[in-house]
Amino acid sequence: MIGATHRTQRVPGSRLRAALIGTATVAVLVAAWEAAVRIGNLPPFVLPRPSQVVATAVEQAPLLGPHVATTATEAVLGLAMGTMLGWLLAVLTSAFPTSGQISHPVVLLSQTIPTVVLAPLMILWAGYGLTPKVTLVALTVFFPVLVAATAAIRDVDAEYSDTVAGLGGGKAHQMWLVRLPASVPGALAGLRIAATYAVGAAVVSEYLAGESGIGVFIQRSRKAYAVDQIFVGIALIAILSALMVAAIVALRRVATPWQTNLVST
Amino acid sequence: MTTTANSTGRAPEAGRSEPVLSVGDLTITFPASRGGRGGSQDGGLNVLDALSLDVHDGEFVAVLGPSGCGKSTLLRALGGLLDPRAQVEGTIAVPSDASGRRATAWMPQRDGLLPWRRAMANAMVGAIAAGVPRDRAYPRAQQLFEEFGLAGFERAWPHELSGGMRQRLALLRTCLAERPVLLLDEPFGGLDPVTRRRMNAWLATVHLTEQAAAADAVARDASTTGSGVVLVTHDIDEAMTLADRIVVLSDRPGRLLYEARARQGGEERYDRGSLLSALDC
Repeated sequence: MIGATHRTQRVPGSRLRAALIGTATVAVLVAAWEAAVRIGNLPPFVLPRPSQVVATAVEQAPLLGPHVATTATEAVLGLAMGTMLGWLLAVLTSAFPTSGQISHPVVLLSQTIPTVVLAPLMILWAGYGLTPKVTLVALTVFFPVLVAATAAIRDVDAEYSDTVAGLGGGKAHQMWLVRLPASVPGALAGLRIAATYAVGAAVVSEYLAGESGIGVFIQRSRKAYAVDQIFVGIALIAILSALMVAAIVALRRVATPWQTNLVST
Repeated sequence: MTTTANSTGRAPEAGRSEPVLSVGDLTITFPASRGGRGGSQDGGLNVLDALSLDVHDGEFVAVLGPSGCGKSTLLRALGGLLDPRAQVEGTIAVPSDASGRRATAWMPQRDGLLPWRRAMANAMVGAIAAGVPRDRAYPRAQQLFEEFGLAGFERAWPHELSGGMRQRLALLRTCLAERPVLLLDEPFGGLDPVTRRRMNAWLATVHLTEQAAAADAVARDASTTGSGVVLVTHDIDEAMTLADRIVVLSDRPGRLLYEARARQGGEERYDRGSLLSALDC
């Protein structure tokens, strides 16, 4: 249908089976890691045991809350901003092709610069607070949302726009009844892809400057040679990213209830 | 080459009133695609060739012809949906409403239902696009859901409806536009033969021309200009069941080959044999 959706065959119990296999794979890998460190007798400042990482996480838990909250705030605000901007530009360029021709080279050019590279500039311009990190996340999210929403509008346009025009509808009707709603699944599909980058972008900008955040926690741990803490940070980033993706999948269900065939990965 | 089969001589409507819709010597050519595809001569694809067609008040006209003869192009031209690159010669006269907008409602071959709107919201697209006030369109929509056998499905998503229901909903949406001229492009083309037969039998009971006239009367405060339906199809039975008059087009470029008016009161409304032979040549 629209955007990045495809049909899945619903075999009863297949999802449970997939989940069990996935869990088992991770468990085997963690066990192999634990065994390798014990057998190889590696020092903890090179590679800590997973059990030690868990122990450190429990020990550090009271300290971690504010760091996680900071990074999550940056990621969520940046996602929201980047999505809004990408989606708006997609709708705008479909309504006014000239605006697309103007913005296209700029957008393309900006994509030749990895957003993370811009972090030092952001910090110089916007200081040490939330703003440079949110801006960086927004820049990272912007492009995939723009591309996916533009594609969704382009794919859907002709048939439905003709229907509306054939009933007497003008350009405004086509925009309101067709383009705008057609872009929503695309924007959300782009958001789903962008969400995995968002936390990473926030953390990298925290590496450079900041008082709080998972990136700050990892940098402090690095300076103290606390490798186990670095692993705790990495695990937190993974969990946060997964939660973001899960939230967006849930949002897609609510925002596009007509799509029954969304893959929930 | 044009022949007119008519048991009563001239049509009773013809000459007595101005046609609701009129096409004169219409020739449509699409410029050649840069790839230089086959079938195009003189650098362009000639789709319709000097076609003339009048639709009179209350008339249901079926345009019958082989695939690719320009039937859909004709309907798109009537509905104002022609590709702007197409070269158009001849005249197209369609009624317009008080605000100068084209007073036609076009229904595409594929239903064109918006997947993000529930059934009732999809029906209302007809009213919204045509500028019909909601307080007038909504009660009529409710009534039409009943008449079109869609009652109880107002909150269904399009993908939850069967093919036949989707087409009925698309037709309902077209009626809600309150336009005096309905343009139907193979409305049942995508349906299986059994459903298609049922839909045709049902549509014959709906009396679309009267629907359009009634709606138009409301929209114009009773000063109606007349109504009509143009149905494009390649199904001879569909045309014979529904139409007051059948117009047969030739292979591309579409020219008028044959015209027949339904007999009044007889068992067979049309002479199937002559329709078939017109289609065969």
